[in-house]
Amino acid sequence: MLNHILSVFRTYMHGDGAVLLPEMQLFLFAIGTLAMDAWAANTSNEKHGSNPIFQQKYWNPAVALAGIAFSAFTLWMLRARILQSGDLAGFHLTLVVDSYFVFFSALLLVATALAILLSVNCAGISVVRQGRYYALLLFACMSMMLMVSAVDLLVIFLAVEAASISAYFLAATPGLSNRSPSAAVRFLFSSALGSALVAFAFSLLYGLSGATNISQVAGALARRHNVAKVITLSHQSGSQMLQLLLSRLPEAVHWHSFTLEALPIAAFTLVSVGMILKFAAPPFQPEFNRVNGETDFGIPSPVILYLAGAYAIAAVALLLRSLFTIFADSQNIWWYIIAALAIGGISYGVLASLRQTNLERIIVYLSIANMGYVLLGVVAANEGAATAMTYYLLTYLFMVTGVFGILIAVRGRNTCAGGLNDLSGLRQRSPVTALLLIIFVLSLAGAPPTAGFFGRYFIFRSLLETGHRYIAWFVALSSLLVAYSYLRVAVYAWRGDKSETESAAESFGIPEAIVLGVCVFVSLAAGLYSEPFTRMARYAFGQ
Amino acid sequence: MLPLTHYLSLSFALFFIGLMGVLTRRNLIIKLFSIEIILNATSINFMAFARLYGDAPGQVFAVLVVAMLAIELLVALATIAATCSRWKSATPDDEPDLSAQLDY
Repeated sequence: MLNHILSVFRTYMHGDGAVLLPEMQLFLFAIGTLAMDAWAANTSNEKHGSNPIFQQKYWNPAVALAGIAFSAFTLWMLRARILQSGDLAGFHLTLVVDSYFVFFSALLLVATALAILLSVNCAGISVVRQGRYYALLLFACMSMMLMVSAVDLLVIFLAVEAASISAYFLAATPGLSNRSPSAAVRFLFSSALGSALVAFAFSLLYGLSGATNISQVAGALARRHNVAKVITLSHQSGSQMLQLLLSRLPEAVHWHSFTLEALPIAAFTLVSVGMILKFAAPPFQPEFNRVNGETDFGIPSPVILYLAGAYAIAAVALLLRSLFTIFADSQNIWWYIIAALAIGGISYGVLASLRQTNLERIIVYLSIANMGYVLLGVVAANEGAATAMTYYLLTYLFMVTGVFGILIAVRGRNTCAGGLNDLSGLRQRSPVTALLLIIFVLSLAGAPPTAGFFGRYFIFRSLLETGHRYIAWFVALSSLLVAYSYLRVAVYAWRGDKSETESAAESFGIPEAIVLGVCVFVSLAAGLYSEPFTRMARYAFGQ
Repeated sequence: MLPLTHYLSLSFALFFIGLMGVLTRRNLIIKLFSIEIILNATSINFMAFARLYGDAPGQVFAVLVVAMLAIELLVALATIAATCSRWKSATPDDEPDLSAQLDY
């Protein structure tokens, strides 16, 4: 009996199970974190005294990090396997493991690990019972990996919803100012509207193709274009032709040529707008500027980082996959829409960030602008652009994590820091912190020897190569504004402040030091010696 | 059998009603209803297309949309409830325009 069960299990793990294994491990560790949290709440802390190893504060993140390590190891093994025997597919062709999945999953795992490390000493999070917080991070990471892995509309929809619901709960984690739920409500509404739009678009796609697998949908959409032409022709050339068409192609009776042409564009617009609403969701909260002027979002900084970093990357990755498979054949139609959305996003993000005086909000608004640059790579859609987009996302994650790491370190126990004025005098208080912040900010601004410069330069070059000259110049000119907006932060950090010279220097814990070390390494190395990083970026599209 | 166009007209009408509701109304509960209306339009679409093609995936999708709608409603209502209780008791003055939104 046991043997039988074991053999069934073994067959499963060699077939469908292997496709889902990294996600399953994350799921199990998330459940484990929750269970251990409940157990720790029952057994009092007295038993272990003040031994720091037994403190919940440390072993909750440790378990979560262990889960990520296991998942990353499995991912590495899967990478070797697809190198040998090609892409894996499972669960009736609803999930695939290809190089695109491996690249983005690795990126999401790293993003989650960095967010966990930054959460350990974060003032807002150490108050709540943390087991569920770390479990939610793992659940969110798991669903985002599913988003990247899914190739079926049904599974994509489920994964998007699962990721969103984890994100809603994360956004409702009480922050420093104890005002979190109202921020969570704002986030929830824009994100829920995004998923509703995506769901509606999926229903249209299903209706146009009669299939839910995205490659079948793509094939059907390509055929539809011809069917629309035939229907138009048959309407023009009389009833005999129409009879012939109806006998050969019975479903033609349900469609009009106009709907066949218009519905795919509607579906495309809805998917793009929906996904953009999702990754641009956190800052679409204008009311927060009015509430107390200068205060923070009310969401803990690591969560904002996670929403503006990992969540945005997953949404962009899903958008790219659907653009390059479902809508692959009509690129000449939809690039106008994407270009308009991207240019709108860049302009909105930059102009809104110029008015802000809160560091978090500047970074989050500019993250919309950065995602806009990534989307402009879709407009070019050649080989160089694919590398540029993945390189941009890869380096952007580390740069933005670095800035948030500094912010969390500067904050320490001080609850209301985060305004630009709090940064002034940072050079005197802690030269290392100021230097690191300036490196990250220069890199985000796109100063030449750093990673940020090459990301934007690759996009610019691929746009020129494909003949989108005006958009390329828009990239160049708007980059100046973006640079100005970021450099404002650097100036504040460098500027002396005589009144506060005696205040204590910022101290890094070990987790923050690891995060900042990794981030500063990537921001500089990807610029100075970009070859390994561009090779990684090329790997994502299987080149 | 009704032609497909009828179903599509209904679902598009619902979709735009929902979209206008989300974009123009200030009351959080009504905004939530509007999002649910969009999801219901999605369900109608899926059922209509499943009937057109005579296959299962559309029906499965419709049922899943309903399930997701329920979960999202639950999470959203919980968040709204937590927020409103906070506005009423703890810091009503910080959120003048937000608390005004909740009056019908």
